Amino acid sequence: MTNFSTFKDLLSYCQEHHVSIGEAALEYEVARGERSEADILLGARKILEQMRATIESGLYSDEPSMSGLSGGFSKKVMAFSESPQSFMSSLEHRMIAYALATLEENSRMRKIVACPTAGGSGVVPGVLIALTDEKQIPMPTLEKALLAAGMVGGIVSQRMHLSGAAAGCQAEVGVATGMSAAAIVEALGGTPQQALDAVAIALKNMMGLVCDPVAGLVEVPCVKRNAVAGIHASAAATIALAGIPSFIPLDEIIDAMVSVGQMMPPQLKESAEGGLAKTPTAVSFTERLYGEQPD
Amino acid sequence: MSSSGSLFNIMGPIMIGPSSSHTAGAVRLALLARNIANQPIRKVQFILYNSFAKTYRGHGTDRGLLAGILGYSVEDNAIRDMFKNAEQTDLEYQFIPYDQPNPFPPNTVKFEITLANGDFLTVIGHSIGGGQVYVSRINEYSVALKGEYPTLVMFYHDQPGMIWQVTKIIAEEQINIASLNCTRKAKGTEAFMAICLDSLLPEPQVKAIREITEVYTVYNVDKIPL
Ligand code: SF4
Repeated sequence: MTNFSTFKDLLSYCQEHHVSIGEAALEYEVARGERSEADILLGARKILEQMRATIESGLYSDEPSMSGLSGGFSKKVMAFSESPQSFMSSLEHRMIAYALATLEENSRMRKIVACPTAGGSGVVPGVLIALTDEKQIPMPTLEKALLAAGMVGGIVSQRMHLSGAAAGCQAEVGVATGMSAAAIVEALGGTPQQALDAVAIALKNMMGLVCDPVAGLVEVPCVKRNAVAGIHASAAATIALAGIPSFIPLDEIIDAMVSVGQMMPPQLKESAEGGLAKTPTAVSFTERLYGEQPD
Repeated sequence: MSSSGSLFNIMGPIMIGPSSSHTAGAVRLALLARNIANQPIRKVQFILYNSFAKTYRGHGTDRGLLAGILGYSVEDNAIRDMFKNAEQTDLEYQFIPYDQPNPFPPNTVKFEITLANGDFLTVIGHSIGGGQVYVSRINEYSVALKGEYPTLVMFYHDQPGMIWQVTKIIAEEQINIASLNCTRKAKGTEAFMAICLDSLLPEPQVKAIREITEVYTVYNVDKIPL
């Protein structure tokens, strides 16, 4: 039975059949009966190629976004990575820059891969493509890592809509961070248990994250939030790969996220009526932006 | 994702930014409305509700809705310049944010469509995240249409043998039925049938179904790409 509705189901399937999360995800997708295994892997590769193409077109671009709130950020991080002041590894610099590049392309209304949404689209490519560039992860492993990320998002999406409007940013960048943590563990050959612990650790820290975009644009806080989230996923994966489990099981964490999402007021769910969107700086920016535009 | 939804809905779609619910979802909803109309469209009023009403300009929801009505896909680079593209067509359009309390979910749009033949059509749809959408209403009828399959939607006067009459016409065309869903208000009153098919039913068969005396309305709705 590959029709996983809980992480517990997924884990026991992996343990019984001696497969990774990514391999179980592949079996899940095959069992749906719409696409062959080869076609699914090709689909995964196509997604990875688009992720890389988006990063490459955005990485050294100075072009401002439609609103002018972002643009040129990833280029600055790539330059800083060469500076004597830099203190993170080259892998981490890439993770940050790649996520920024993806979100900046998104804000320019260019082509991206929603993962699980456009607002959270920088986290998975940021960690996966950076990891490939620095650690030479082979394509078949990378495809499985992406599928593992998809499976994690898929199981969460059975219990909550993955949109800031439905449950706040915990459902977008939050879930993307959990997906990325699983992808890192899969790419580095960790166990299914470690992958799910990494997801759990990542999500416990993303729970309650509100969606309060300035002027309703997917830019502030979204662009930089994706970059920070990649590092967050890396930390969660490191903790799990070191052999430290999550005290609260993942399924219970998802239930808690669902209930937190329900308690969250509508002002903090993508309506741009609370949080950062209501700060004086954001309010005056919004007036300037929309004041100039005819309705 | 429903319990057996594709993982490619989660790591995808490949789309033009900036928002999967407000841009890609808008394109897909409008594509679905366009497929429901299934005829040239002269004019559309987009009534926007809740989060759509508050943030549509910043998220390109307006360009996305326009792109879908004009038949562009979520990954078409032209979405960015859709206002210019629309100028080159005869389509009239207007965006109307609705700011009163309402019963709809966060990202809702009502399409008030005037067809080239003068007919009028209302479609209400919702974007639920990650580019996934559903339509809940066509004119006065409640439906649940996601655009995953070519779907025949019909409203008819409930009476014995209706399902058989309709499925016979479909079977004669050698088209597989993926699922069939029927509801009615009460025995012998108005009933609703949605038949998900493996491919779109050709127009002559749709006409044959329309001609069954008990049938009030038929919509032959093609699926929308992921
Ligand atoms: S803050 Fe809101 S718009 Fe921005 S990424 Fe998070 S959920 Fe999406």
